[in-house]
Amino acid sequence: MVYYGEGGDIKGFDPVKASDTETAAQVCKVYEGLLEYDYLVRPYRVVPRLAVAMPDISPDGLTYTFRIKKGVRFQDDPCFPDGKGRELVADDFIYAFKRVMDAKTLSTGSWIFAEHVVGVDEWAKASEDQSKPTDYSRPIAGFEAPDRHTLRIRVTKPYPQLLWVLTMQYAFATPREAVEHYKDDFLNHPVGTGPYRLKEWRRNYRMEYERNPTFHGQRYPAEGEPGDREKGLLEDAGKPLPIIDRVILYNVREYYTRWQMFLAGQIYSAGISKDYFNKVINQDLDLTPEMSRLGIKLHKTPEMDVFYIGFNWEDPVVGGGKTLEEAARHRKLRQAFACAINQKQLSEFNNGRVTPASGPITPGIAGYDPARQYPWRFNLDLARELLAEAGYPDGKDARTGQRLRLTLDMGGAGDAEMRQMGQLMVDFARAIGIELTMNFSLQAEHWRKLEHKESQLFTSGWVMDYPDAQNVLQLWYGPNESPGVNHCNYKNPEFDKLYQRILTMQESPERTALSQQMVDVMLADCPCAFLYHRLLYGLMQPWVANFKPHDFPYPNTKFYRVKPH
Amino acid sequence: MTATAANSAALAAKPQTLWSTAWRQFRRNRLAAACLWIIVIYVGIWLYAESVYWTAYLRDVVPSYKVTDFDARNAAPSLRHWLGTDFTGRDNVAQLIQGVRIAFEIAILSSAILIPLGFLLGALAGYFGRWVDNAIIWLYSVVDSVPSILSIISISYVVGRGMKGIVIGMGLVAWVGLCRLIRGEYLKHKQRAYVAAARALGAGHLTVMLRHIAPNVLHIVIITFTLLFPRFILTEVILSYLGVGIANEPSWGVMINDAKQRLWLGVWWELGGATAAMFFLVLALNIVGDALRDALDPKLKTAEGSAT
Amino acid sequence: MTAYIIRRLLTVIPITLGVLLLVFFIYRVIGGDPAARLAGKNATPQKIEQIRKQYGFDKPKFFNWQEAAKTGSPAAAFDSQFWHLVGQFAQLDFGKSLQSNQRISRMLADGVVPSLCVTTPIFLVELSVAIALALICAFYRGTRIDRTFVVVSIVAMSISGLVYIMMGQYFFAFRLRWFPVWGFESPAFLLLPVAIGVIAGIGGSLRFYRTIMLDEMYQDYVRTAFAKGCSQREVLFKHVLKNAAIPILTNVVVAIPFLYTGSLMLESFFGIPGLGRMTVDAIYTGDEPVLFAMVFIGSVIFVIANLVTDLLYTWADPRIRLQ
Repeated sequence: MVYYGEGGDIKGFDPVKASDTETAAQVCKVYEGLLEYDYLVRPYRVVPRLAVAMPDISPDGLTYTFRIKKGVRFQDDPCFPDGKGRELVADDFIYAFKRVMDAKTLSTGSWIFAEHVVGVDEWAKASEDQSKPTDYSRPIAGFEAPDRHTLRIRVTKPYPQLLWVLTMQYAFATPREAVEHYKDDFLNHPVGTGPYRLKEWRRNYRMEYERNPTFHGQRYPAEGEPGDREKGLLEDAGKPLPIIDRVILYNVREYYTRWQMFLAGQIYSAGISKDYFNKVINQDLDLTPEMSRLGIKLHKTPEMDVFYIGFNWEDPVVGGGKTLEEAARHRKLRQAFACAINQKQLSEFNNGRVTPASGPITPGIAGYDPARQYPWRFNLDLARELLAEAGYPDGKDARTGQRLRLTLDMGGAGDAEMRQMGQLMVDFARAIGIELTMNFSLQAEHWRKLEHKESQLFTSGWVMDYPDAQNVLQLWYGPNESPGVNHCNYKNPEFDKLYQRILTMQESPERTALSQQMVDVMLADCPCAFLYHRLLYGLMQPWVANFKPHDFPYPNTKFYRVKPH
Repeated sequence: MTATAANSAALAAKPQTLWSTAWRQFRRNRLAAACLWIIVIYVGIWLYAESVYWTAYLRDVVPSYKVTDFDARNAAPSLRHWLGTDFTGRDNVAQLIQGVRIAFEIAILSSAILIPLGFLLGALAGYFGRWVDNAIIWLYSVVDSVPSILSIISISYVVGRGMKGIVIGMGLVAWVGLCRLIRGEYLKHKQRAYVAAARALGAGHLTVMLRHIAPNVLHIVIITFTLLFPRFILTEVILSYLGVGIANEPSWGVMINDAKQRLWLGVWWELGGATAAMFFLVLALNIVGDALRDALDPKLKTAEGSAT
Repeated sequence: MTAYIIRRLLTVIPITLGVLLLVFFIYRVIGGDPAARLAGKNATPQKIEQIRKQYGFDKPKFFNWQEAAKTGSPAAAFDSQFWHLVGQFAQLDFGKSLQSNQRISRMLADGVVPSLCVTTPIFLVELSVAIALALICAFYRGTRIDRTFVVVSIVAMSISGLVYIMMGQYFFAFRLRWFPVWGFESPAFLLLPVAIGVIAGIGGSLRFYRTIMLDEMYQDYVRTAFAKGCSQREVLFKHVLKNAAIPILTNVVVAIPFLYTGSLMLESFFGIPGLGRMTVDAIYTGDEPVLFAMVFIGSVIFVIANLVTDLLYTWADPRIRLQ
């Protein structure tokens, strides 16, 4: 049974460097962690993977004790003494966690433990010494292995997100033998416990995986959401995983080439770009008869992400302002701009592939409330009124008579869709008399500008790392200002105080209420104009079974089945 | 009879300058003459497009080609929109006309950088020789050995994207060819008698360089300009493909790249329109450039090359 | 002669140094360092500082005067970002890609073969067809046939390469299904990209070679040959082609660096995992070590190719003095 799909450019197979979704998807085929997301059950919950059960958490919430499955083996690889995979032990996790913290591996994942786990920051500091290799025998107090199959993690203050981040690729078990054997080339030779092993990889072109024969018995889940059984998602319940023997992924650069390959049946799934949408999806946002006849299946899922236009808080025109009077005027200007954005048209432009965002919290997360109205939804009259109050009647500066000119920085150059969207923004701003210039730059430049706080207005987005509002709310936390994630450089003591509170709280209705309060505080200041959440429209060939859309789909290939066709 | 005689008498009386002989030879090339008319038409469209742009700018209103009609987006060709509309319902023909403006602006502004630069450096190198020559040769070898697309992207990375980046980028890269040619000419002319005579009469180096020699090599500038113009247009398409092109105004490169998304749906008119608009101008310029070279300086070796 | 070759080889050094300086200046000095990008989306300022230190981005850009003054050794002044880069490149160590984390030397080794698979056939086919057509033009010079070829070649030159690629892929691969749309599996996958590359480039080369041939046709020796009673064909193949060999060879040698860099757009559209596509990706993602390496190697090959041309000239025509 072979599955053909598409895979993009990846950063190699080193789990500590898998910072993007594309790389995560590949790493997760070979490596595994203590926990993973349930495939079928919603809302998302974590279930044990290499752990025997969910951890024992001490009453003060500071100590997590995991018991690790016995008899799990790494895949066979020449890096082991006799070429046979060794049994997984708790020390493999500690070793992997240390690699994440090691300054020399330049991991993008150190944030998952930094400032949370006891002793990691001192360890990381010591690893910065360039003159000698990092000492992995030096212990970290927060990571302990009382015996071969027990792992204890101690945190400095309650860290409710720990269970979420342990599902991430950064926290996957890595055998020390492989790292030391392959050295610089480790990223090309993944050695994990996962369902597949990498057979062949031609960079920028093709990846081939085959079933890992020593994969320990994980079975297809027997429990799902209501309706899953009717959709046939539980037919394989209890079957050993992975179901598909070989996975072949092509890296196709140009979108319409990919689309062609999908129609020809050469690849089994495809997203739909804006310009193909009408051909595939009819007015009711369902498949056209032509597509249905081919048996192609359509999956619609809201994605956990949010896109927005940020205002640089340090900008002299749209920023926070130096005096109270200035702050009030600038706030009105930002609000006016936000009100000028026609979210409905934006959604039409995208052929309904996006849902208007009413705030930072994405659908599917505690704190998201579809009934809540966005205070700055499209309203041209209000926008003009606010603009006049801000000192720019009809978009002209009341003092000088000059038209207000703003610059919007956009990344992702080379993507025609992005440029067209920028054009829409220009039109929106013009409707209230603001002349918006769009500055379209390559992603790298866009980043640089944000880091150095050089942008005035900028487009940005956030894809959730785990289903918790805190993950997106950190984007407006004052101490996270650029070059951190708070690219708006927004500062509000009230918001910051609330953020610090929810950071250590366990999930509860009270915490949800607090995060909603934070959203209100932030929306009133309007440090960014929210645009939309994406809806994922994916097409699947009729012969692919067991596919269920997932927001963290990285390890999910192991559940799919390919029917004879 | 008398009229012809008078004409030939006038001809005989007029000194046979390089330019008048060249013009006569150029006129004999019918194809080139026809192409010259094509260029004249494009210049007309360009001036019209400029007037549309500047009127809107001065009146502080949205120019007509930017007015969107969201309900009529992605329309097929019709009597109202000969080439259909784009993704926000703007007329594609109006966009193409503005594309002419952008193409001319890019070519003229880039040339305004590269011609003085290439000419001056070439003249200095050829005239003074020795270390000046060595330094300038080093400079253009460095610029030349970086693939031009990469250097244009790098330069526009520094000066800012869009029109400014493209113009400065192309200007700072394309001067090498002109510089080489001018240097060669100056090397030749410097040894001529008239230069020695001018020097003997007490003319300074600068005077000799710019007053005496420059008029004799000016035709190279004109040939270079006509032959580089189409190269600028074609390069703009590649830059747009790479995402470092124009963003706020309609350009042919942007249109071609937008069209590529919808070509698979059988939407040929966007690509066809932009390609045709570009094709006739580039063709005419190439032919006129060739004819000019044949007429003015048949021995001149200008660089050729494709840009795929 | 040996002294000349050595002297010319030495000119490679200032030129590549100049190229490095240029690229370094643009990306590192004005563009700023990529530390924050490397730190990923959840970056903390501490992490960024850590990365900056690991990569040496915290060092001075060009000269480390401070260190030199402190330690008293002038060598310490070269403990700077630029000179580290120079030292690294001198040992042909290009470091790692920021985007894919791979060793760049390995990426180059992997990419050069697919690139050559596309560019070499294009180059050879284009060269032979263009020379054959140029000979025909020279044979029929001044007639309608010659003029038609000239006009056709200018027409071919006047269409953007991007349009050729898009139309070619659309009609011949997608619509007519004569060729595979995408991939790099067998020679059949190369037919369409090569054909498109040849068609897009043939106009320019035909025009170039025709000029060379015609230049020769008007030389004295050709007149002498005709006067001696040689036939057109004899003159063309015996004399003109032989004498035109030098400018043709020059053009061939100078084109070699471009074989190596691959074709940016053809590779992107047809899924050929070569250096052209690698460069496009590096441009998009701002992968500066890859760009540094590509520019550096490109310029070294370019300079050496120029040196080879000069030598060819002196070998073929002893009248050219070595200066």
